[in-house]
Formats: sequence, C-alpha cells, structure tokens
Amino acid sequence: MNFDFTEDQHEIKRTARELLAKRSGIEQIREAAEGEAYDESLFTELRELGWTGIAIDEQYGGAGLGVVELMILSEELGYALAASPFLPNALGGLMIAHAGSDEQREKWLPGIASGEATATVAFASDGTAEVVPDADGAAVIVLIDGEDATLIARDDAQVEPLATIDPTRRYARVTASGGEPLPGDVAGALARAEVALSAEMVGIAQRTQEMGIEYAKERKQFDTPIGAFQAISHRCAQMLFDTEGARSATYFGGWAADADESQLAFAAAIAKAAASEAALSVTASSIQVHGGIGFTWEADVHWFFKRAQLDAAMLGGTGKQRARVTQLTAASLATAGGA
Amino acid sequence: MDLTFNESESAFRDELRAWIKANHPGDEPAGEDEGYAFRRDWQRQLYEAGWAAVHWPSEFGGRDATLVEAAIFNEELARARAPFPANVLGLLLAGPTLMIWGTDEQKQRYLDPIMSGDEIWCQGFSEPEAGSDLASLKSKAVRDGDDWLITGQKVWTSGAQYSKWCMFVARTDFDAPKHKGLTYFILDMEQEGVEIRPLRQITGDPEFNELFLENARVPNANVLGGEGNGWTVALTTLMNERAGLAFGLQVGMTVALDELTEELAASGKLDDPMIADELGALRIKCEILRLTAYRGLTATMKYGQPGPEGSLTKWMWSQGNQELMQFATKALGPQALTGSSTWGRAMLRSRGNSIEGGTTEVLKNIIAERVLGLPRKK
Repeated sequence: MNFDFTEDQHEIKRTARELLAKRSGIEQIREAAEGEAYDESLFTELRELGWTGIAIDEQYGGAGLGVVELMILSEELGYALAASPFLPNALGGLMIAHAGSDEQREKWLPGIASGEATATVAFASDGTAEVVPDADGAAVIVLIDGEDATLIARDDAQVEPLATIDPTRRYARVTASGGEPLPGDVAGALARAEVALSAEMVGIAQRTQEMGIEYAKERKQFDTPIGAFQAISHRCAQMLFDTEGARSATYFGGWAADADESQLAFAAAIAKAAASEAALSVTASSIQVHGGIGFTWEADVHWFFKRAQLDAAMLGGTGKQRARVTQLTAASLATAGGA
Repeated sequence: MDLTFNESESAFRDELRAWIKANHPGDEPAGEDEGYAFRRDWQRQLYEAGWAAVHWPSEFGGRDATLVEAAIFNEELARARAPFPANVLGLLLAGPTLMIWGTDEQKQRYLDPIMSGDEIWCQGFSEPEAGSDLASLKSKAVRDGDDWLITGQKVWTSGAQYSKWCMFVARTDFDAPKHKGLTYFILDMEQEGVEIRPLRQITGDPEFNELFLENARVPNANVLGGEGNGWTVALTTLMNERAGLAFGLQVGMTVALDELTEELAASGKLDDPMIADELGALRIKCEILRLTAYRGLTATMKYGQPGPEGSLTKWMWSQGNQELMQFATKALGPQALTGSSTWGRAMLRSRGNSIEGGTTEVLKNIIAERVLGLPRKK
C-alpha cells in the first residue's frame, strides 16, 4: 500500500509547477481571458516538451506513460489555469486510444500526441453537443451519446463558437450527423477522461485555497489579520478538507485507470463527483474570504471560479456520478451476498 | 502508487482473517456488564494468539506491525464484525504513552497486563471546567511523603468501573503557567478516595462516568514522564487517540453503509432517485475517508509524519457518520426510530462523534493554525 508518486512522477510534477509558474502567471491568465485567445506560444512549448502525448502509446508518437502522469500534468495546468487546449485534446486522445479501432488510432493519435491536430470530447444528444471545449480549433471531435461514442472530423461538423461565463477556455456548439462509431470500451475510456478532468479541478481547488489563505493572512480588519477570526479560519480549514478529499479520490481514479480496471468505474465516478464539488465550493469560498475585493474583476480568483463551473458540468454532473456510485455498490453487494 | 497490499501485507491479512474466522466469538451479549466480560474474554483470546497488540514492538510482546498492517488489523476486525478488545484505551493510548515516557520498571510492570486485559485502563483527562481547554484542568495533587494525594473531578471516563488504572493528569504547581504545572499519574482506581458515578448519555446508556477523587493516594513512583511534564505526556496520549482509532472507525462506517444499502435495496427504496443520490453522496464521503486515511499512512511511513490530509480524517469520519445515521433514519422511515431497530440508537450515539476525541471546532483551529499557518485565533 503506497499512495505516493514515484520519483519520476514527482519530477514531472515539479517540472510542470516550475515551468507554469513562469509561463502561466496571473498576468498571462488575465491577458488570455480578456483577449479571449490562447497563448499560442505556451501550447507550442507544451507540445515540444511532449506533454500532449504523455499518455499516448509510443507507436503513435506519444511518451507511453499512464493516466497517473497525465493526471499530474492536468492538476498542474489547472493550478496554473493555463490558457491552452491541452485538456480537451488529452480527453479526446483517451477516448480514441481506449475505445477507438486500430484504424482510428492510427489516423488520429499521432496528431493528438504532437498537438498538431487536436481532439475534443463532449456529451451529445441526437447529434448536438451544446457546449464543447476547444471544438473550433480541433481536428477531430468525439461525441458521447449514452453508451455510444462517435468520432467526427471537425470539417464534417457544424461548429458555432459560443460565449460562456468562462473566458479562460474556448467553447462551441457542435452539430453533426453520421460520423464513425468508436467500437471499443467507451465506458472505460470515458472513466479515464473523467479522472484527467477531475485532476484539473483538484488543481483549481488547490490554487484558490492558497489564494484565500494568503489573503486571510495579509488582510487586516479591526487591527487583526482576518485569518485569526474563526469565521474565516474555519472556512479555510473547510477548503483544505474539500481539496484533500477530492485529491484522494482523483489519485485513486488515476491508479485504478493504470493498475486495476475492475475498480475504475467506481473510482472515476467518485473522483468526478468529489473534484466537481470541491472545485465549486473552494472557488466560491475563496471569493468569500476575499470579501468585497473578491467580487471585483481585479481579484483574479473569479477566473478559477468560472473555469470550475464549466469543468464541473463537463462529462456529466455530480448527480449522474452519485447515481452511478449507488448503482455500482448495490450491484457489488448483491453479488457478494449471493456468492 | 500501489493501492494494493504487498506480499507481506497480504500474508498478514490472510493469516489474521483465517484466525478470526476460526475464533470469532459470535454476537456480543446484551447487557453492559455481560458485553464487557465478553470483550474481555475476546481480548484474552487475541492475547494468547499474539494478536492483541500487533502495533506494539516485539520487545513488549507486540508483532512489530507496520502502520499498514495495524490498519489491516482494525479493518479486518470491523469487517468480520468481531468485537474490539475490552482494553482499547490501554492498547491504543496507555501502552504507547508508557513506551515513550515510562521507566523500565513501569514498562515491565504495566505493559503485559494491558495486552492480556488483566488490567483495564481508563483516561482521566477532561473535567467539567476543562474540555477543549484541557490545560486549564483543576484536579490537584499535593505531596504527602513518598505519595501524592489527589483531589478533583473528571468526566467522560469510559470503562472506569472496570478499570484497575487511570491515566490521570493533575495540577502539581499552581504558580506555573497552565501548561507547565501539570503532572501525569498512573492512578490505582481500586481505592477509597475514588468514587465512580455512571454518566447517562442521550442514548440512555451509561457509556461514560464521572470520577470524584478525595485525597486519592498515588505513590511518587507512579508519576509518568516526570513532575511538571504532564502536558507533554498527555499530548502523546492524545496523538495516539486520533491516529489509532481512524481505521476501525472508517470500516465501521463502511459496514453500516453496506447494511443500509442492503436494507434500502430489499425494500425497493433504492429506486427512489432522491434516496439513490444521497446514498451515493455518503458512499463517496466514506471512500474519501478510507483513501485519505491510507494517504496519511503513506506520508507517515515515508516522511515520518502525515501531510495536511492527516489532520482531516477524524473530522471526515465524524461528519460522515453523523450524516449517514441521520440519513438512515430518514430513509428507512419512522420504524427506524422504534425499539425494534438499531438505527435510532446509532443515530443518537453519532451526535457524540463530533465532540469526543476533540471537537470539530477545535480540530478546525488546529488545522488553521498548524497546517495552514493562519494567525492564532482571537
């Protein structure tokens, strides 16, 4: 029993934290959000470092590492709120790698791994996905409808760019008919995508927790740092509670994805539910700790709050995950009882 | 990351599981004294087979179990619905405190009877005027030749009526600052100056007691860790309290949640989406508790101390267990609140979870100051 990363994995985390501290500071986040455009040079740098292909097999030009390594990068990119199409591309890559045919893999994974022809994924109903991250710039779009997933080349889909409350990421409405079905394990692929998405939300929660605590130490009222008041300090403790709980669940999901497929569905549902709830509650709580300034455009905590809202809604909300958790445990108890 | 048990951990678990299966004592009998005698017999059985104190070093009769193996021990006991040993405070609190602070004579004298259950221990820390603010306690000890005479009052002393010894903290220096004037005693409960009164709690059970001491006598040789050092010694006990219990409690919650899920499935109530949703939320909290407890163990084994997550498990458990019990009685309907169901009583008992062993509010203060580095509270 060992919950720790390997030395190589720690190194990935350290490298990512250092690089993104330089390349995706608050000014860059603000600039990208206000300009409603990604920092192209940042994504180029990530591509050149091989991050885009981290969890894609070497035969398709990736690094051949696992969901755990992708999860580590995703958490750090969330922590830095990096302005790039990294995550949707990685999620689309997981769908094609784990549910695609050999032919589909050969066709799309090299471009996803190099970041030159990116992917994305979203839930759809009858050929329409209302909110798809980074669809406009993508080469290929995976639409999931119930238990089925369909792959559509960007040029065969109708993509209408969409304004959302989250200016840190580009979104679009996608309509498509036809497309190729993904013949493989759609549920397993989706579970991996949920884990990687959860990791971004853990990073968001971690960052906004730190921002709130830092402010609570500096800001004085009644001649006292507000963090000395229990109404504030207990709120900060709650932020730690939520963030660490989400982290435990997400790391479990990453491990299950790479090491124990039998627990993956359960672990991914727990990760997505816990990370969504933590990202929503911690970002909101951090705004509250910031007081009046927290409600202004100038205080940067709102960028994280906005990303958290869209992330939590992505690939199915908490209600869906909770129902799935109950269904899976009831089934496993019935099996154990019957055996 | 490897969230499976390694070979030696698996071997430990399999051996223990087989032993519990062959030696399971069955259901605990009704009645407080009968239940206690039953758990005392069970501890004797564990002791004779070498399972009573797996986490203790072998020089004191333990198994040198790693933290993970100690966790497995608690998990397996709870999973098999086997009783916890009668002398739980002796095994988890008094023993480890004696190992750190005791003289050779004290270790020699007290440790083995703790393990066998021949001598039960209770904990005399809290007082009516000293709960969360433990260091303000007022029980006083004065020298009388080679002895100390202790007068004062303690509260929440579970198992006092069965105990031979009490871990007792009293004030020996009234001029010193409040954390400095305390001394930790090993108090013999079987004497005239000690009166035990059962304290009835909201369930109606007297699980705890009040202690009244009037010139109770303790030889100076029974001071633990030196005169005036009581606060530091007491912290050793309290740290063991929070760390040691987490695994058994976590599995207890899983077992209760499994039972509730089965009851709700059997009555068709799982088809109600509102019920399925709340049950899912509880299962997620329960899993997060388990995973976070293991993360804490990994950090402790690797870095010598738990990370920020280590301070959260007691809070996670108390909140989760209270929500679980309240939800159970709500979802199962009013019959869960009648005498024919165990859920009503369990729900009442759970209100104590966020108070015993450190209130949630005090835990939040500790997290804010020591983990998050926020300024001391106003």
